[in-house]
Amino acid sequence: MALRVEYLIRETGTNLWRNVWLTIAAVLTVFVCLALLGVSILIGRGADSLTSQWKGGIEFIIFMKPVATPDEDTAIRKVLDESGSEIKSYKYLDQAAAYDEFKKLFADKQELIDSISPTVLPPSYRVVPVDSDADAVAQLGKQFEDKPGVYEVKYASETLRNLESITNIIGFGLLVAAVVLFIVSVLLILNTTFTAMTSRRREIEVMKLVGATNWFIRIPYMLEGLVHGLVGALGAVGFLVVFKNLVFPRVQRIDLFQYFRVTSGEVWTTSIWLVLLGAAVGVIGSTFAVWRYLDV
Amino acid sequence: MIKLENVTKEYKGGTVALRNASADIQKGEFVFLVGQSGSGKSTFIRLLNKEEAPDQGRIVVAGKDLGELSGWRVPYLRRNIGCIFQDFKLLPKKTVYENVAFALEVIGRPKHVVKKQVPAILDLVGLGPKLGNFPDELSGGEQQRVSIARAFVNRPLILLADEPTGNLDPATSVGIMRLLDRINRTGTTVVMATHDRGIVDTMRRRVIELDNGNIERDQSRGVYE
Repeated sequence: MALRVEYLIRETGTNLWRNVWLTIAAVLTVFVCLALLGVSILIGRGADSLTSQWKGGIEFIIFMKPVATPDEDTAIRKVLDESGSEIKSYKYLDQAAAYDEFKKLFADKQELIDSISPTVLPPSYRVVPVDSDADAVAQLGKQFEDKPGVYEVKYASETLRNLESITNIIGFGLLVAAVVLFIVSVLLILNTTFTAMTSRRREIEVMKLVGATNWFIRIPYMLEGLVHGLVGALGAVGFLVVFKNLVFPRVQRIDLFQYFRVTSGEVWTTSIWLVLLGAAVGVIGSTFAVWRYLDV
Repeated sequence: MIKLENVTKEYKGGTVALRNASADIQKGEFVFLVGQSGSGKSTFIRLLNKEEAPDQGRIVVAGKDLGELSGWRVPYLRRNIGCIFQDFKLLPKKTVYENVAFALEVIGRPKHVVKKQVPAILDLVGLGPKLGNFPDELSGGEQQRVSIARAFVNRPLILLADEPTGNLDPATSVGIMRLLDRINRTGTTVVMATHDRGIVDTMRRRVIELDNGNIERDQSRGVYE
C-alpha cells in the first residue's frame, strides 16, 4: 500500500513537471473560468440585495410610522383592498419581517444590527400596481402620502430598474464567458492528459504487458487533471476574496450602490462551489482522455 | 496450459492472420512457431495474452477461457504470462534494476519483495554487476537479458517470445536460447516465434509451422523445415 501511494505521488508529480507549460496553461484557464464564474455569482448576489425590496413588480412601498395605530393601519389596508382595478397585489411586512429584511441587507454590519431593535423599524405595504408606468404609479402612490399613520411612500426609481437590468446583463455576460471557458478548460485538461500519456506510451505499453490494472495506470493521469482543476480553483477563491475586500467596498461608496451587499458567507459558499467545480473540470477532462486512450 | 480450438482471426481489409487453427500446448513445453513474415506467428502470440481477440474459436490460457474473461480480469491473466520482444521494449530512462523493478511495482508488489527478487533475477540472467546501467549502455544481448528478467521476475506460468533473437548475432542468440531453456526447465511453458533456422534445428523442440494463417505442421522434436 505504502508503495502504491508513493508511486501515485511520484508519477503524478512527474507528469505535472514533464508538461509544465501545458500544466500552467490548464491551471490558468481553470483559474480564469472559475474567477469569472465566481465574480458573476457575487455580482448577482449583490444586485439581489440592491433590489431585494423591489422584487416581483413592487413599484412603491408605503412605510407606516412604527407608532401608527391599528385604526390608521386598517384605513390604509381598506384603501388598498378597494383599489382592485389599479392594484394587482400588495404584501404587508410587519416589524418582525422588516427586522429580518434589515438583518439580511446589513448582514456584514453586525454592530448596526445589534444597535437596532424591531420596534423602531417601520412596518410597510409593498404594492404591485396593475400599470407600472411611472406617472400612473406616482399618482396612485400620492393618495397615501398624507394619510394618517403613513411615514413615507417610496417609489422604485427608473435608475434602480436600469441598475437591475445592467447588473443582470453583466452577470449574464460573465456567466456565458465562464461557461465557454469551462468547456475550454475541460478540453485543455483533456489535451494535457493526452499529451502526458502519449509521451509515456512506452511505459503504459509495458505496464499493460506485465499486468498492471487499468485503474493503476489511469489514476496518476486523473490525479494530474484533479491537480489542474484544484489549483485553478484555489487561485479563483483567492481572487474572489481579494475582489470582495478591495472592489466591492469601493462600489458601495457610490450612492446608487449603497445597498450592494455581498456577505462573507456568500463568498465562502461560492468558493466551495468553485472548488467542487474545479475538481469536476479536472476529473472530467482527464477521465475522457484516459478512457479514450486506455483500453485493455 | 494453452489450448486453441478452431481459432480464426481476420484483420480489417480482409487479411486472414489465423484460419481455423487448433493446438494444445502442455505445461512445461517449449514450442517454436515458425513461418514466413505475415504467416500469423505474431497474431498467434498476441491472441494468447489477449492483446487481440479471435473472430471465431476458443482460446484457453492457464485455465481461463479468454472469450469469457471480462476486461478488468485481463491484467490478472497477464501476470501469469511473461512477454519478450525483438525490440526489447525497455524504458530508456530507467536503469536495469528499475526496468525490472517496474514490472513488480506496477502490479503492487511490496517493496521488500521488489528488493529481494530483482537482484536475484538479474543474477540469474547474468546481469548482476550491471544493475545500475541504463539500457543504452548495454549490448543488444544484454538488453534482451534485461527484458527476459523483467518478463520472468514475477515467475509467470507462460513465457511468450516474439522473435527474441531477431536483432542479435548468432553467438549472442545462443546465450539467449540457453537462458530461455533454463527458464523452461523450471516448468515455465515457453512459446517462441522465430525465423532463426539454426536455433530451431539445434534445440529440436516442438515446432508449429504457420503458412498464411494455416497450421501446416505441428511436430514434436521438429526442425525448421
